[in-house]
Amino acid sequence: MEDGRTRGRSEKVETDVKLKAIIEEQEHDLNVRIDGGRVRAEFGDRVYDLELREPEPGSYLFLRETELHECHVSKAAEGFEVSLHGSNHVIKIVDPKRLRSGQDTHGHSHGMAEITAPMAGKVVKVQIDVGASVEKGSGIVVVEAMKMQNEMKSPRAGVVVSIHVKTGDTVNTGDVLAVVE
Amino acid sequence: MFRKVLIANRGEVTVRIIRACRELGVKAVAVYSEADAESLHVRVADEAVCVGPAASSQSYLNIDAIIAAANSVNAEAIHPGYGFLAENADFARAVTSAGLIFIGPSSEAMELMGSKTSARRVAVESGVPIVPGTVEALVSFEEARKTAEEFGYPVMLKAAAGGGGKGMRLVSAGDELLSAFETAQTEAAAAFADSALYLEKAVERPRHIEIQIFADTQGHVVHLGERECSIQRRHQKVIEECPSPINDPDLRRRMGEAAVKIGQAVKYTGAGTVEFLLSDATREFYFLEMNTRLQVEHPVTELVTGIDLVREQFRVAAGEPLSFTQDDVRWVGHAIECRIYAEDPANNFFPSPGKIAYLREPAGPGIRVDSGVANFSEVSIHYDPMIAKLAVWGRTRDEAIERLRRALDEYQVVGITTTLPFFREVADDEEFVAGKLDTGFIARFNERRRVVALPQEQVDLAMIAAAIHYSRHEQPVFVQTGTQVSDGRWKMAGRAAGLRRWKRT
Repeated sequence: MEDGRTRGRSEKVETDVKLKAIIEEQEHDLNVRIDGGRVRAEFGDRVYDLELREPEPGSYLFLRETELHECHVSKAAEGFEVSLHGSNHVIKIVDPKRLRSGQDTHGHSHGMAEITAPMAGKVVKVQIDVGASVEKGSGIVVVEAMKMQNEMKSPRAGVVVSIHVKTGDTVNTGDVLAVVE
Repeated sequence: MFRKVLIANRGEVTVRIIRACRELGVKAVAVYSEADAESLHVRVADEAVCVGPAASSQSYLNIDAIIAAANSVNAEAIHPGYGFLAENADFARAVTSAGLIFIGPSSEAMELMGSKTSARRVAVESGVPIVPGTVEALVSFEEARKTAEEFGYPVMLKAAAGGGGKGMRLVSAGDELLSAFETAQTEAAAAFADSALYLEKAVERPRHIEIQIFADTQGHVVHLGERECSIQRRHQKVIEECPSPINDPDLRRRMGEAAVKIGQAVKYTGAGTVEFLLSDATREFYFLEMNTRLQVEHPVTELVTGIDLVREQFRVAAGEPLSFTQDDVRWVGHAIECRIYAEDPANNFFPSPGKIAYLREPAGPGIRVDSGVANFSEVSIHYDPMIAKLAVWGRTRDEAIERLRRALDEYQVVGITTTLPFFREVADDEEFVAGKLDTGFIARFNERRRVVALPQEQVDLAMIAAAIHYSRHEQPVFVQTGTQVSDGRWKMAGRAAGLRRWKRT
């Protein structure tokens, strides 16, 4: 039995949230309201009214009027990866209700450049010593992964202030190999 | 024909060979490492045998374990695929002495062509031109320096035992030689257990064109035309075509005849590929090397000639004559293949291993996908990052390119970074469309490519999808907001969960 008082409009509202979406280091404020199979999303004055379907978990079908957009979302190391019309986007969602301020600020101290491992692998050669001067593009460390030797180069000219690995070390994605200042 | 064949490989090539087995009514046995127990090539086989731990040196390269596996299942023949042991003459010999048939050429032909220095001698003796360079392996860096100065820079350093771009360096000036020499040596030693290098004069703006040959045990040697493989990164092919955009029947005939001569000289049997460098300006070609195996890019030849190269390999290995003669070979239409690598094209094609979270492969007219992965496959750091090949066919090159664009748009791989978006850009590139290809294509393409901003709507929709996914699937039920637990959110989470259950059933 339904009556108008207990089954108000808010009953049907699945989601009504304010979030921040970060894509390519740009922050966007986003309001999303999902209500009875429809989505209203607002980026300030850019407003989208969409019909929403989820034919399989993580696959979303948007109908904007009759225009169809299909995307797939999966969890990525940092946030989500969304594929849409042949492009993949890495998007981080920040929920202000769940985050204390101060999180997620990893600024670079000026003038320092960290050389990090872009993937897991093995250090096969350290080409330079602490204190050495390097040019932009100078080889610092050689990492072997997937049968390929990859020379990690300095992104800038400067002095090597620290080296964090030695030959034979196994490194993971994002590990700092060396720092150039 | 054989009753049962073991495939000493993994990934998409194993899946490809299993398809040929099925068509011929041959039972297919896969081998796998501990890391590959759930891989696609195992899932589609009739039987599977574990041959060791993840490291390929202890599994896919473990000759004893593979032969023991073949014996344990009573296989009659072993197909090596490409990579791993495919060009290892010791392996071919071990297979034969175990009383099994090696689906490939004789170990003698392999040895002769496997060393690039002896292969160059064979070419010279057959009257096929070679790129000026050292015929013997370099004995020292000092010799490398002297020879390089003699030929003049730029020069190429290559691993004598090499292949697949490993241990290969282009050296454009003298001050780069030492570092290139050392890294090429280390890479060659790691890849082939042989650090010997040789040196060649670099041909400027060369096209990389190869000829597919096929030979049977009755002495027939034929060619199946060329493949253009000029689009390379790190000296590894990423896009291949048949025919070459040059599409010159006379040149095809001359290169085909040169390739057949080399095949005859080494008494070749089975599928082989003779690689040439072609100067675009002079249309002169130089023998580069011969690959004594099936090639990664064999689908483009199959699409254009209609000949199934893997089935033909089985025939020849079983002692039957080729199913076609040189005059039977016709080239119809145009085919293009893209190698889909788990690599980041925006980051210098750096490998990008990980788990495939979602996969949808293209299909439809003129599309062929040779894939080694499925939904939720793990692309591991242990093996080559190529996950699949997309090949398209059209009546003309233009039609093939249109199909390529369409198929790339259909192709969805989520969870790992792949070279798909790169290919989509190349498919629109003017030089590519005009067929102006040479081995420097990618370097120039990267220089001129403009990052075209996506329409705002598309970026917005992607963010909306991420936000919806977050609120539907990632938000915890217990939402702690300071000291107050919001009653509304509890209810909402419950309702959302109820709604999802309802939606899915």
